[in-house]
Amino acid sequence: MSSQTSPTTEQDAVLSAGIDRSLRHPVMFFLTSAAAWLAVSLILGIISSAKVHSPGFMDGCSWLTYGRTQAAHVNALVYGWGFQAAFGVIVWMLSRLSRQECRASGLILTAGHIWNFGISVGVLGILAGYGTGMSWMEFPAFTWPVMLLAYFAIVIWSFVQFKVRPAGHVYISQWYLMAAMIWFPWVFITANVLLHVMPGNPVMAAGINAWYKSSLIFLFFTPIALGTAFYLTPKVTGRPIHSYSLAKLGFWSLAVIMPWAGMQKLTGAPIPYFLPYVGATATVLFFIPAFTAAVNILRTATADPDVANHSPTLRFTMAGVVGLIVMAVAAVFLNIPGWTMQLSQFSMSGYGFEILALYAFFSFVMFGAIYFIVPRVTRREWLSRRLIKMHFFFSIYGIMIIAIAAIFGGLQQGIGQEAFDQPWQESAAERAVNYGWAITISWCFILFSNIFFFMHLTVMWLRLGRRSMHPTLLVSDHGHGDSPHGGEGHIDNCGPGTASATH
Amino acid sequence: MSFRTFIFSLSASFGVAWLAIVIVPYIKMRALEPIAMEEGDGTNAVFIPKRAGRIADGAEVYAANGCYQCHTQLVRPTYAGNDMFRPDWGGLQFDEVRGDTRRETNAFDFAGEDFAQIGISRIGPDLSNLGRRIEAIYAKGTEPGQWLFAHLYNPRWKPDRRNSTCPSFRFLFEENEIKGNSSDDALPFPVEEGMEIVPGPDARALVSYLLSLKKDQPVPASLNFGPPEAEAAPAAAPAAPAAAPAEVPAP
Repeated sequence: MSSQTSPTTEQDAVLSAGIDRSLRHPVMFFLTSAAAWLAVSLILGIISSAKVHSPGFMDGCSWLTYGRTQAAHVNALVYGWGFQAAFGVIVWMLSRLSRQECRASGLILTAGHIWNFGISVGVLGILAGYGTGMSWMEFPAFTWPVMLLAYFAIVIWSFVQFKVRPAGHVYISQWYLMAAMIWFPWVFITANVLLHVMPGNPVMAAGINAWYKSSLIFLFFTPIALGTAFYLTPKVTGRPIHSYSLAKLGFWSLAVIMPWAGMQKLTGAPIPYFLPYVGATATVLFFIPAFTAAVNILRTATADPDVANHSPTLRFTMAGVVGLIVMAVAAVFLNIPGWTMQLSQFSMSGYGFEILALYAFFSFVMFGAIYFIVPRVTRREWLSRRLIKMHFFFSIYGIMIIAIAAIFGGLQQGIGQEAFDQPWQESAAERAVNYGWAITISWCFILFSNIFFFMHLTVMWLRLGRRSMHPTLLVSDHGHGDSPHGGEGHIDNCGPGTASATH
Repeated sequence: MSFRTFIFSLSASFGVAWLAIVIVPYIKMRALEPIAMEEGDGTNAVFIPKRAGRIADGAEVYAANGCYQCHTQLVRPTYAGNDMFRPDWGGLQFDEVRGDTRRETNAFDFAGEDFAQIGISRIGPDLSNLGRRIEAIYAKGTEPGQWLFAHLYNPRWKPDRRNSTCPSFRFLFEENEIKGNSSDDALPFPVEEGMEIVPGPDARALVSYLLSLKKDQPVPASLNFGPPEAEAAPAAAPAAPAAAPAEVPAP
């Protein structure tokens, strides 16, 4: 991230603008369709969550029965929103970091359509009653090769760009993103082949399914979000990251520890005894990669408190990193064998943890990235500061309520389940109901915030954003102060003399 | 660090875990040997749990309608939870013939299924011994299938289940005109004159599968994790093994 000497900044500006232009349509396609899928997922989430406390809600329709809407909600969230937001960030960020224009944007765009087609068929398949019954893998089995091919067609160009880049320093974001891009197909192929193509023992199959879920969280969504945060924070603040050796420690501890996590969800099931213990240990140890990265990013971001207040990108990214800290604390707190493990194993807190990972951490960092990337690739500024603020506050309050309700409600539920001398209905089942209400209401908050976000984003893709030289900040400061998005008047952040002019 | 070293370290750190917790256990468990009953089991047969019913069809309906979102099929050992102490989860505490039949779930219990529906949450109760429970308790003395059809059609129709949050699976049933005699499986719910509600094919498969959930057969000594009979009576009463009818854990 070092500043370059002035003769190169002009070329840098041209190069960055060229990269942004070459990627405008793929990136905007991924981000916009991701936001649309997020809205779809949230609507399904509200319907299914409402059924937890009011089973008569939209009752008796096969497409909308709880088991199907809940599965469709989670899968749309993971593959519709999560993966596509990640694709948008990957193709843009790795092009910028490899300093290469994208020469395959047509192919990427086509593959993006295929990916969307695959998940549309998958979600409709779940709702129509063709789900496979494997959590996070409910899409009908024929969709996974389609998704895999589309995936390779999307990310392979980033590897090519990396290969032909001008020699030099490999930045920590590239480590995280490329590791995630290697881990994901490995995990995805393993799980799908072992479960769909060559079924073995059914209990071990359930264990592999649990490992798959955990691996997507820890080895795809986590590194993508961390890589993004390590890019955005120094860019916006114009400072190098706090400690490079800490960043390395965070990366390699993630790589070494997290592949072991996941099978603690099968504690007590007839699989080899060491698997749940190894899984619980690895999940608890998640605090090491999480805290090292979080401290590093927050130290970089808070070096200048003004910037953090003004920049939408940094505000969302920091909220996401705080989400990571909460998620790591939850990973420790929910997975202690002999104490909370048995309470959380079959309760809402599992869902709460997934939502913490997917929304409180990953999604917030992705929102931060979107607020950063979109003005650059469209060369227009965000229309409304108020919409961004609404998006932030409704999302943050919504996710706080969901996380608290699901995690502590889940523990309450677990305590009821363990009270074996009490009748099931009164002790365990009814404890969940009130927390279910809280979750429904907060999903409504989040949906409200994201509908405005989706409209804002669509308008930006249509290039109806402000044709202004002033970036949209959270605090109005026309005429004074440095803008965190680069010098005044340079929406592509590459004006001569700005610290963040490189890449 | 060169790109090559990076890829190598990444593959090594992931590959070790991948082999150790996914591939090797998967291969090992793929070829489970049948377990011979031993002395003390009262027989020298081989332990092969049999299940009657439309297992594969019913499991598909169970999976497609997301039953696993709220129901588990796992009776955990006592170190992992209190499932064994519930009077009707691991078997029956007071079986009329066999006494206490409760036991933990074992790796043979999912015979005939491709994927063990261990489940992810318990908004509803565990279903490992649902078939046993319906026959012996809920629908005692009546036709268990009838009870389950009515329950799936409207989980809240019995006064003591009015607070159930189980969804109705009305869409698995059909409303037919009565031609001649009414069907044996017609449900006891009000419907237009001359019509009757009967289970559709998916409902029949699902009910057949659910009634097959009776995971409390006697198991070989090597799979029986209850305390040995002799010392069990005074000390660890709650973890009653399958073959110890005399024990009664605290309710």
